[in-house]
Amino acid sequence: MKQQHTLTFRISSIIGMLLFCVFVNAQNDSIVDTTDESSKIKLKYGLRIGGDIGKLIRTSFDDDYTGFEVMADYRLKEKLYIAGELGFEEKNTVNDYLNITTKGSYIKGGIDYNMYQNWLNMDNMIYAGFRVGASTFSHDLNSFTVYSTNQYWTPQFTSNTKQEFTGLTAFWAEIILGLKAEILNNLYLGLNVQLKFSATQTEPNNFENVYIPGFGKTYDSSSIGAGYSYFLTYRIPLYKKVK
Amino acid sequence: MKKIGLLFILFICVGNYSCERDDICPEATATTPRLIIDFLDTGDPDTKKNVFDIVVKGVDNDDFLEDYYFTTTNNLLLPLKTTANTTEYIIIKEAEVDDNGTPDDSSDDTIIGNQDRIIINYSRENVFVSRACGYKTIFKNVTLTIVDDGDNWMLSREPLTDNQSVEDETTTHFNISH
Repeated sequence: MKQQHTLTFRISSIIGMLLFCVFVNAQNDSIVDTTDESSKIKLKYGLRIGGDIGKLIRTSFDDDYTGFEVMADYRLKEKLYIAGELGFEEKNTVNDYLNITTKGSYIKGGIDYNMYQNWLNMDNMIYAGFRVGASTFSHDLNSFTVYSTNQYWTPQFTSNTKQEFTGLTAFWAEIILGLKAEILNNLYLGLNVQLKFSATQTEPNNFENVYIPGFGKTYDSSSIGAGYSYFLTYRIPLYKKVK
Repeated sequence: MKKIGLLFILFICVGNYSCERDDICPEATATTPRLIIDFLDTGDPDTKKNVFDIVVKGVDNDDFLEDYYFTTTNNLLLPLKTTANTTEYIIIKEAEVDDNGTPDDSSDDTIIGNQDRIIINYSRENVFVSRACGYKTIFKNVTLTIVDDGDNWMLSREPLTDNQSVEDETTTHFNISH
């Protein structure tokens, strides 16, 4: 019975969502119609710059993480923006056998495409983006303990001599899905999720890039990475243009 | 706005997951190898020969090696110290327990039998395996010496290759004839 209820609820909510969608679209259409007749919509163009507040919050709560990112986008067309990010990260990767500090900076550049149909005078975004990213970084292997399945001789060898792996680079591509909401005039709050595909990276000798600034944690099993961002941006309005 | 708040919470949850497959070192991964010794028949050096009731104990280690405690085997897997360039073992053939005249009291029991001592010398190298397993130690220039005590049951030893190294557990590293 319970399962059936859930199912009914799911179906009804899906139907509800579909209806809602149609309803919104209809509303949008009617508004566009009226505005076409009365006045033309003017779109704001300008440079939007901001910072990643998610990384700031994480820096203050997570002892193993320090990072910041600044970002900018510039409107090219009604729905098309050129966008980029610049940041640095320091991350400790610690487990029973390894203690690593990764430091580095990164740059990302690409485009954002707004998929959201704004109402009159609104300027919000639900967007998809594409970026290429590059990072230069280094690892400090602070300590390691040899892994052995047999523990007859304990403890295993532990090295506390810091080893440095420097001059490393990585390149990747990423797709972004996110939203930006204008909370005050020209001030935007936003968030996004990023899916990254590693292209090339310098493989350190007798070590592995366990973390790449900008790319995030790497995985042994695949070349895909993930990230997220919460940010606050401000648009410096430069000019307005009729839609 | 409420919906956006929910989205935020969702993203925080997604962003902070921490434990997945890559964090656990899989058992199948080859990590620090053990030294593999085969026991051969001294009269017929191509065939393996069992050693009965073998007991193996590391020198400077209070415990016996679990796998070889009154067992019958024709090969040994000996862990090597990753902290030193020498590991020594005492290997007892046809071991017996001497209960010292007190069968009910095991505290004064001793293990008797023909004890042979082997010294394994090597140089170590630490090789990166993966983020979860960290480093493993492999052993290069491995030599095995049977200490002559006048009454050795181990008659000779032979490395499988010149400049024997112990890098994995796929093949035998030393043969010992008895």
